[in-house]
Amino acid sequence: MSDTHDDLERIAEAEEQWRRDVVEPRLKRFQIEKSPTRFYTPTATRDFDFLEKVGFPGCYPFTAGNNPFDFWRAHAEAGAKLGIRPDSPGGGAGAGRYSGYGTPEDYRDYQLRMQSLGSRGGPNVAFDLVTQCGYDSDSPNALGEVGRVGVALDSFRDFETIYEAFTGERDIDKVASNFTINAPAAVIIAMYAALAEKRGISLEKLRGTPQNDILKEFIARGTYIYPPRPSMRLFRDTLVFCRAHLPKLNVTSIGGYHIREAGATRIQDLAFSFAIGCAYLQAGVDAGLEIDDFAPMFTFNAFGGSMQLYHEVAFQRAARRMWARLVKERFGARNPRGMMIRQPIAAHIGCTSTTLQRPLNNLARAMVGGVAGGMCGALPAAYPPFDEPLGLGHSLEAIQLQVDATRILIYEAGVADVNDPWAGSYFMESLTDETEAAAQAELDKIDGMGGAVAAIESGYMQRAIARSAYERQKRIDSQEELMVGVNCFTGEKEIEVSVNRAVEKLYDPGQMATAEERQCAKLAQLRRERDGKGVSRALGSLETSAKDEGANLMPDLIECVKNEATIQEICDVLRGVFGEAEPVKL
Amino acid sequence: MGSDRKIRVLVAKPGLDGHDRGARVVAYGLRDAGFEVIYTGLRQSPEQIAAAAVQEDVDVIGLSILSGAHLALTRKVFETLEAQGAGDIPILVGGLIPEDDKRALQEMGVAEVFTAGTPISSIASFIESRIVNA
Amino acid sequence: MERAWQELIDAVTGGERRALGRLITRVENREPGWQDAMKVLYPRTGTARIIGITGPPGAGKSSLTNRIAGILLERGRRVGIIAVDPTSPFSGGALLGDRLRMRDVATASGIFIRSMATRGTLGGLCQGARDVARILDAAGHELVLIETVGVGQDEIEVVKAADLVVVVCVPGQGDGIQTLKAGIMEIADLFVVNKADREGADELVADIRSMLALSGDRNGEAPPVLETCALSGEGVDALVAALVERADRARSSGERTEARAREEILTLIERELARLVRRRFGSDSRLDEAVKSVQCGEIDPYSAAEAILDGLGLVE
Repeated sequence: MSDTHDDLERIAEAEEQWRRDVVEPRLKRFQIEKSPTRFYTPTATRDFDFLEKVGFPGCYPFTAGNNPFDFWRAHAEAGAKLGIRPDSPGGGAGAGRYSGYGTPEDYRDYQLRMQSLGSRGGPNVAFDLVTQCGYDSDSPNALGEVGRVGVALDSFRDFETIYEAFTGERDIDKVASNFTINAPAAVIIAMYAALAEKRGISLEKLRGTPQNDILKEFIARGTYIYPPRPSMRLFRDTLVFCRAHLPKLNVTSIGGYHIREAGATRIQDLAFSFAIGCAYLQAGVDAGLEIDDFAPMFTFNAFGGSMQLYHEVAFQRAARRMWARLVKERFGARNPRGMMIRQPIAAHIGCTSTTLQRPLNNLARAMVGGVAGGMCGALPAAYPPFDEPLGLGHSLEAIQLQVDATRILIYEAGVADVNDPWAGSYFMESLTDETEAAAQAELDKIDGMGGAVAAIESGYMQRAIARSAYERQKRIDSQEELMVGVNCFTGEKEIEVSVNRAVEKLYDPGQMATAEERQCAKLAQLRRERDGKGVSRALGSLETSAKDEGANLMPDLIECVKNEATIQEICDVLRGVFGEAEPVKL
Repeated sequence: MGSDRKIRVLVAKPGLDGHDRGARVVAYGLRDAGFEVIYTGLRQSPEQIAAAAVQEDVDVIGLSILSGAHLALTRKVFETLEAQGAGDIPILVGGLIPEDDKRALQEMGVAEVFTAGTPISSIASFIESRIVNA
Repeated sequence: MERAWQELIDAVTGGERRALGRLITRVENREPGWQDAMKVLYPRTGTARIIGITGPPGAGKSSLTNRIAGILLERGRRVGIIAVDPTSPFSGGALLGDRLRMRDVATASGIFIRSMATRGTLGGLCQGARDVARILDAAGHELVLIETVGVGQDEIEVVKAADLVVVVCVPGQGDGIQTLKAGIMEIADLFVVNKADREGADELVADIRSMLALSGDRNGEAPPVLETCALSGEGVDALVAALVERADRARSSGERTEARAREEILTLIERELARLVRRRFGSDSRLDEAVKSVQCGEIDPYSAAEAILDGLGLVE
């Protein structure tokens, strides 16, 4: 690619000639103004420096990937012959399949069932919206929501109940836990620590990942409680506490995924995710922590995706390179592990790319995502299962097809046999550069506003995302963006292909219906049985500490949970001190 | 009807679900279709929704729910509206609604259920033809 | 079945909130009979203090209005709020999002919040807001807060309906008070620097005070400049006290009532005339002929208009 200036000139001239002699006549023949395709030559990447722009898998700037091969790839062929799923969720000691429903008892029993079917990992916990928003199951806000999108959790007692399924060889010093929790993440981490203490397990052994990414909640997911600044204070407290006492716990899982699903463009996804990441890194630096110590404990949940295969591959390459550069240059890091984007998946299509209409087409769509992911060095997961948009749970058929599609990509297509197969492509390198430049420009703009927190307080990010979502809808409604079976090819001659869907009833709907009732009864019992004085004392101490900006709230939170204060009682104390976040006007 | 008449729509998200992309897109879209859209945002209690519907004298209420709690929440909204003498205001529901639940919602009295992929123009013309000019 | 106007008015004065919402709609839409309805309501008005709240976008007016209303409710006052947002000139629709910030108070029985769009017609909003404020007055709301964005002409017009005008600004908005449209400075009775915990608040307060000092006296007393933080509530109690005191004073002093009555009568006449003219030309070929003449260059538009007015006997 290090063509000399003369070479490039000759190529440019040849390209001109090609346009006149080959393209123009063809355009005329088909009576179109502009070619529907593009072709890239070395002129697109004039000053391409391979070592600077790409480098090697596992080395800065990580454009080609975090490592020469992922953990699942190491034994993939051997595993296939033994019929083991390459990524084996629950097969290892990592956190297993994302799950959660009903009451803690329901969830514990579910986990025990999974264990009897062979699952060996820790819990990957989905909490219900009531818990995520810092309310108790008997709050008026809880109507209809208790135990629905995740497990209901009101107190430490509930936490312990869940972990009754994790003892012995699955105790918390041996398995990792994931918690999809953001606004009250500090409370859940406090419970985790309190549990370890109670079981005589050293905090240093605890592994896992709390999502703990509050800033994206304001702009994408909506489960926030306090305004941005006090929320960052809580983040700082979890970060400092974890580094000091739970060194193996990942501190955060930053999620561009939700930002994209909320309607952000690809560039906004990248820029906003990194603005948020920088805000978290800065919080650590401001708290006096060493970047090389804590940056490696930051993970990424996933970025967003789309059907535009090439663009998503370029996105991932740009993201890896950009983050590495940011952590190194802006924060002066030297530990390469802190410069890597550690995420469980890479490129994918995103759930909003799937359609409710003619759902089996989503399998073809997911395949595109798998190919893109595989080309980014990740498991080529053909995700999501085709019936995702039906909202009824993934059927066994859909899961089988998805898993087989992934296997086909790995073993038959060999998509994951080459690291960064697009490296050096004139097209992909120029697209990667463009993506990075556009994201950097947006990031600079946010920096100019004072960073992510300022951009969120002013409503800039929220409005930008709402506008992008609307622009996209308009493009779909006007057929500027085509979606097969949705806004085109919808005539009478089209067939609605269907398949029987056997949805595994993992969750008993009967249990779901009584979850609220049962949980409220337990709350009443808790309030009767616990030491009211201890609760008041602990909450009072929390309030005092909360008013002191410099105090770390984790010790007080641990005291509160040990004294059996409920999630809402704890969160209400903080509401009193921090206030509640205000919605942003469109 | 006076020539100054505008169609007024309430767009609200009941419950704790925080995914407001759909609600916002519909709000913008109906504004661009010439409606006056009162957008109340996230975490609306049934009381807040009913108060808004009554005070704003809306022609129709649009509820957006993606958490799965649509049956319980819609039922509660109906009850609250009824109690405030506004049980006649039509309700539309959008979001992640499985087919069976669509029927249940319609039986409850919901005028229509709009799921993913519905063009905004369909929602607008539904409101114009089936609700306002019915 | 639509209720008759009188029935609706009776329901409103009897305390029915649904009826109040309906009455506002029908008056706003200028449904036939609306003027008679306003005549019936008029004697029941005059108790409410009408406070206009305006300022540039992002100043936190809605949050402040929310706080003010909350305090007034605590004191047992009944409050009406009219929240104004601009109508899109392209579609004629509007996104009315101010209620979002008033969730705390929205369900209290002593409060009534109505969102209004400017609906694009000249002077249209001012009259519409005035009528709605009167309806809320007649329905027993002792204070009516009209909240608008002070950047468009319509939005500034609306504060003419108020006894008292409050201008809200925030520090850190680039040009400071330059962002405030000309006209607002003159009509403001009270300034509020919101988000006063932010950098630049003191400077903004000083800027406003010196600007006021320069622009000469208004019956000797310069409008006060207060600081608030709507998010925390700081300063809002003092603001409410100042508002109530000044609104009462303004009402009883009758300072503006002559000018306002004159302005209102003229506006009503102008609007009615404009409506009549448009209706007249809906069925009159004279306008079409004039248009054709201007198009093919036979006559200039000034002469064409004059000729039509002359034909109506309306040229002096």
